[in-house]
Amino acid sequence: MRKLGIILCLLLITILVFGKEIIFWTAPNPLQEKFWRPLVEEWNANNPDIQIKWSPIPASGSSEEAILTSIAAGNSPDICTNIFSGFAAQLIEADQLVPLDTLPGYAELIASRKMESVIEGWKFGGHDYVFPIYSNPMMFWWRKDLLEELGYTRAPRTYSEVYEISKKYSVKNEKYGALIVLGRNWWDRWFDFINYYYAASGGKSYIDVEKGRATFNDDAGKAVARFIDTMFRNDWTAVDLGNFPFYYGVVLGGIKGPWDLNWAKEQFPDIYHNIFIAPPPVPDDYPVDKPVHVFADTKGLVMFKSCKYKEEAWKFIKWVFSNIENDLKWMEYTNMPPARGDLTTNPVFTDYMEQNPHFKAIAEYVPFAIPPALTTVTVDIQDAMTQYLIEPIMYGKKSPEKALKETVSRIRRILF
Amino acid sequence: MKTLKRRENIKGWSISSVYLVYTAIFWGYPFVWLFILALSKWNFLTPRRFIWFNNFIKLFMDDDFWRVVINTFNFMLYFIPMVLILSMLFALALTKVKYFKTFFMLSFLVAYVSSGVAYSIIFSKLFAVNGPLNKLTYSLFGVTIPWFSQPQLAILSIAMMVTWKFIGYYGLILYSGLVAIPKALYEAAELDGATRWIKFWKITLPLLNPSLVMVLVLCISLTFGIFTEPFLITGGGPMKRTYTFQMMIYTNAFQKLNPGYASALAIVTALISFGCVILTRKLIEREVSYS
Repeated sequence: MRKLGIILCLLLITILVFGKEIIFWTAPNPLQEKFWRPLVEEWNANNPDIQIKWSPIPASGSSEEAILTSIAAGNSPDICTNIFSGFAAQLIEADQLVPLDTLPGYAELIASRKMESVIEGWKFGGHDYVFPIYSNPMMFWWRKDLLEELGYTRAPRTYSEVYEISKKYSVKNEKYGALIVLGRNWWDRWFDFINYYYAASGGKSYIDVEKGRATFNDDAGKAVARFIDTMFRNDWTAVDLGNFPFYYGVVLGGIKGPWDLNWAKEQFPDIYHNIFIAPPPVPDDYPVDKPVHVFADTKGLVMFKSCKYKEEAWKFIKWVFSNIENDLKWMEYTNMPPARGDLTTNPVFTDYMEQNPHFKAIAEYVPFAIPPALTTVTVDIQDAMTQYLIEPIMYGKKSPEKALKETVSRIRRILF
Repeated sequence: MKTLKRRENIKGWSISSVYLVYTAIFWGYPFVWLFILALSKWNFLTPRRFIWFNNFIKLFMDDDFWRVVINTFNFMLYFIPMVLILSMLFALALTKVKYFKTFFMLSFLVAYVSSGVAYSIIFSKLFAVNGPLNKLTYSLFGVTIPWFSQPQLAILSIAMMVTWKFIGYYGLILYSGLVAIPKALYEAAELDGATRWIKFWKITLPLLNPSLVMVLVLCISLTFGIFTEPFLITGGGPMKRTYTFQMMIYTNAFQKLNPGYASALAIVTALISFGCVILTRKLIEREVSYS
């Protein structure tokens, strides 16, 4: 007993004198907390000299708000997850982040996770400042049971097919073909217009960050705008559709993230088993054999320059992400695809994919999922998209072509 | 004598010092910081630098600012008459109610104390394109109403929701004004042959002036502070017609990371709001005497 006490005291003194503490924040999400807690505990037990002080991002209006407040107050974390590209761009521009590609063993870690193509969309000034953790391809969910009643055995692929099923299914003020526009908030544009644009253009970015201009007033953009316009003009879609329109059969389909899988399984188990998960619809002339690109709702991990023990923090990051079993655990807990390029090919994931076909359908699109443009004015750009493109089309105030032209010119002014 | 005065002085200062320190920390410091921010360019991350009045100049050239000004006055045009008339009717009805008066008062106050977030969500479902209200109008008249998708109707819908919330609260203020009017005045008017309308226009309304002015001032301040309902239901749309001062402040400060610009806007918002209050008082406020 006495011996144990001495050992514990010595350990405590060692930690106090030589120990290094790294503050680590993760997304304030119970499923993600469930993933991180045991991992941090395991690390701390095995590394008394490098202790991770883990906590979810403090409660606030948003993660960004909490992180900004902490930076302004001079007590930012050393490493933090839940960083989206626009916020990362702001942090990089303010010289707050460590370029991770300068740390030892970075290239090896990326290669071992087959993340070369995933990381491409995150480059800023030739460096990698963000380590993507998950990449959620935003897919179109269709009601398999209702489509079968209409005589279809697969999800619609093209705009014309969406028109066809919408015409058959829609009943004025009651039922609609699909939920095409998600809402009026700036972030909704990621999931509607930008997602359709990635699909129609073969994955082309909607903003040319280097030239400082919007690129979507092209054939693909026009096709998308016309698609949205056609759906609204024919009353095949609407916004403000009340509670869970997809699950109550008010719409046949709509864009959803993988986080809805767990929820649907619990709340609407019958419907969960009656879903087609497909990429967003594409223009009619889009080649059948060409992959469809989708928008990636992706969040990553960053290291702040204020971190005193960068190498130690990096050691912890490498320890977590070099163990493939952790990716499997992440999938099981969160049902979100880890940002890896080998999700569908690595045998470690095979069993999970087979047991979860919906997850598999989503994971297959991770290599084709593109994050948003890395710009510091994300909110302004997407506000302009809402005000000058989506809303005028929704309410039939402008032709799709005119709305596109005006939006692109407004965005040019924002980026100027 | 001098010692007593000094002792009283010390006692006074020590009692009020708690409040003074509290005010200095929670009011004075943020107030000074607001002005410093309004004159600065800052993004929370990089060092702050003074740009003096540039935020204010930029503000007056910002289309969004003018849109918000128009929206605010547009909202007032719907909200103030609606809430005034309905809370007045509620107050008048309360004066006639003999039984369960407290129950009625509490029933209306429930709306006032209910969470803005909760009732915004309920209303958004109620007014949805395929919501119960539209289903009813469609089955009765074959039409649906674009509550949140037609710009003017969206403002009206939000004004209706806010009116619902505040009828009870404003109604009680007016009710207390009504019961303070001496009964003798009505009896004298009746003896002179005054009709119910004449009594209302010549006695009730003029003597209710202090309560009415108070309600009006509260309505104006509320209009400049509205946030939850448009933020949750319309997101400021359609076509930015329900975008409010508070939403613009929030968006600029925390989403566009421009707290300096947001502070300048907060100051201008406060000034416009005070201006409206002063103007209203000058135009409507009257000296009231029951004698």
